[in-house]
Amino acid sequence: MPVASAVGIHHPAQTLKSSSALPATILEDPSRSLSQESFDVYASYQRILENEEIATPLAAILALTELIEHSKAGTMFELVKELHDAAEILKRRTTNAISLNAGTELFIAFVTLFPHESDSFADLKTELVKQGQKYAAEALTYRSKISELALDFIKDDSVILTHSYSRVVMQTLLRAHKQKRISVYVTEARPRGLGVKTYEALTAAGIPCTMVLDSAVAYVMDMVDFILVGSEAVVESGGLINAVGSNQIAIIAKAAKKPFYALAESYKFHRLFPLSQYDLPTHTDDILSFPRHAQRPSPALTARPSVAPSTSSNPLVSGHLPIGRSKSSTSSSQLAMTPEQILRNPKVDYTMPDLISLVFSDVGILTPEGVSQYLVGMFAG
Amino acid sequence: MPSAVVPLPEAAGQSSAPPGTLPAKSQKQMTKAERREMQERQRAAKAEKATQNQSKNSPKSSNKPAQTSKEGALAPRRASKAADLAPKGFQGAGGQSKDVKASGEDKSAHTRGLRIFSHFGLPKPTAHKGEVHPTIVRLGLQFSEFKITGANARCIATLTAFKTVIQDYVTPPNNTLSRHLMTYLSPQISYLVSARPMSVTMGNAIRQLKLDISGTDIDLPEQDAKDALCDKIDTYIRDRIIAADQVIEETAGNKIKDGDAILTYARSSVVEKVLLAAYADGKQFTVTVVDSRPMLEGKKLLEVLSFAGIQCTYLLLPAVGSVITEISMVLVGAHSLHSNGAVFSRAGTALVAMMAKQHLVPVVVCCETYKFSETVQLDSFTRNELAPVELFNSFPQNKQQDLSSLSDQPNLQILNPLYDLTPPSSITAVVTEVGVIPPSSISSIPLALGRTML
Repeated sequence: MPVASAVGIHHPAQTLKSSSALPATILEDPSRSLSQESFDVYASYQRILENEEIATPLAAILALTELIEHSKAGTMFELVKELHDAAEILKRRTTNAISLNAGTELFIAFVTLFPHESDSFADLKTELVKQGQKYAAEALTYRSKISELALDFIKDDSVILTHSYSRVVMQTLLRAHKQKRISVYVTEARPRGLGVKTYEALTAAGIPCTMVLDSAVAYVMDMVDFILVGSEAVVESGGLINAVGSNQIAIIAKAAKKPFYALAESYKFHRLFPLSQYDLPTHTDDILSFPRHAQRPSPALTARPSVAPSTSSNPLVSGHLPIGRSKSSTSSSQLAMTPEQILRNPKVDYTMPDLISLVFSDVGILTPEGVSQYLVGMFAG
Repeated sequence: MPSAVVPLPEAAGQSSAPPGTLPAKSQKQMTKAERREMQERQRAAKAEKATQNQSKNSPKSSNKPAQTSKEGALAPRRASKAADLAPKGFQGAGGQSKDVKASGEDKSAHTRGLRIFSHFGLPKPTAHKGEVHPTIVRLGLQFSEFKITGANARCIATLTAFKTVIQDYVTPPNNTLSRHLMTYLSPQISYLVSARPMSVTMGNAIRQLKLDISGTDIDLPEQDAKDALCDKIDTYIRDRIIAADQVIEETAGNKIKDGDAILTYARSSVVEKVLLAAYADGKQFTVTVVDSRPMLEGKKLLEVLSFAGIQCTYLLLPAVGSVITEISMVLVGAHSLHSNGAVFSRAGTALVAMMAKQHLVPVVVCCETYKFSETVQLDSFTRNELAPVELFNSFPQNKQQDLSSLSDQPNLQILNPLYDLTPPSSITAVVTEVGVIPPSSISSIPLALGRTML
């Protein structure tokens, strides 16, 4: 082990040297070649992600298999270290790393637990690459498996509420449409507005579909039979991390006593236990923070949040609202949040396990407790 | 106490000698010699006990009986002085066990009237078959007087004592260690149980020890086998308790954020370590220590935390409702964890947990996997323990006179259960050494079930 670790320490320096020697032929996007490595995981990850069918965790797994292909590591120790480094790079460079982490974590656990039966290390590496690609190929069939399972829960004439855009939900709905009459309400899912994408795809397929404002979910809830959402990640508590708004839909569904179903491929199962929204790795101090002192703090106003001079006639109201300095936007014909204000909002939220009725995944239909038992059994053993 | 074992080499030689030549007689001689040995050790133990009482050592320091007894031997002057101060002086093994018996009867007399809780009382001490090792006698006393409390401390103390017992043990002729040692340990265990009901942690550790003993190779020389067993005990303590605590410290520490207000109940060694480690990491948080009669363990925790510089608030259980809205996380320890996810912990924990759940404050239990019990427990009535009335006042100190008059009242019984059961529904997460998990998933951990070792 001391030998391996010594090599491991030397390794980054070697890659640094070799990177200058090797032309950046592998890099598809030269602007992304900020890291001085011969193989840019992030570029490869981005390229794989361009494929519509491939989800974030799978793209991360495939990017890591490509890394193994290009890796010059001579020992398992070095290889695992490289994988960890690459996972770290990916994590740093994406804004929402939760589902990506699920993928990298799964693959690294797989690599470390993989039996070392090969004759040489090169053989082992090719074997790992083969296994990784095989898994990814197999994982692409998971969505049809899930839609098959969910089909039994969709009755004829069902009215379904879904949130934002999810590939697995789309596949399930389209599949259900072939055999049953369904109609779908879809939320707009601000700020990205991905609900529009869902609406267009479903309408094109001939499914009766209506867009719902995020703020009108409670209004529509009584007309709905059940809720079907995709997921960013399913965590160890049995809870769900998904596009922001899922939590409030789940709470309203619970209040209206409607089942809330989540669809999640098993590679989205993630060893994470958020205790609250603010315990998520995506949460930063900036999110939904009150405005700090402006660039021009007048001594008289230091106690109050920044207030533009023009609105100082009503400092209490404007001071406490994030739209404190949005004089320009109020003058426009439509009231809207500024991009900075949107940036201060969360992109994902956490839904507690007690709000979720069932999780449909390729390993079966699980209760939230079942998810956590599956996860604990998989990783804690 | 390896240094105190004088007859070991010859004993080993005896056991390796061909058996068959007057085995009964040699055995008798052996026990005589051993008895003398024991009496001497008994005396030392008694003296040591007195010095401990005098210096008011914290219970943790008595976790290392080997070290302390050696210390006592090295300082004979101090020991003899202590022996003079000891009220009864040397009485021998029989006398001491009678003491424990007497106190046990006292307790049962006090709790006799509590009909539905009568099963909480101490089990009637049975006549001790076989001899009880002085280390165990001392440990029993420490248990029954609550000098050593806490699931972890008791488990470590028991295992450490068993190491001494195993080292002093000599396999009788015509027997093998793997078969006979357990019959020798059984009276020791039942002696400890008569002092205070066994904790789940002790039960789990002893089960593992039994497994190790029965798995001992018959062909191994006796001393080697004993050393191997002691090594296994050390490994168990290190892996399942010490190392587990370190992992829990880190994992639970990550859940503490700057500006958090943590609430804890009574005193748990793990929670104490978590808070201290998080504070040492530079996290800024406040701690509310909730405490309750009769044990008032939280005072000790308060002392440790405020000494470290953590901003603390101390309040009693009835006041929890007033502060719970200000709390961001409840962090408690556990006595044991059951397969339905219920946590058995100091009486009052369930109240705190339910109150927190009601206010949507996350309840996090810090618990090593070796505290897992495969039983299902549904309430705190079927199994519990009563705090001895003589040791823990149910009334404030300044009413000392009233206490004596009150406790003598024929119609008054004092009921102080030591534990209660927190249902899994009021627990958010359990922090174990294998990660943060929901309480219902504890049975999915193979390690907790003892199927695999680390």
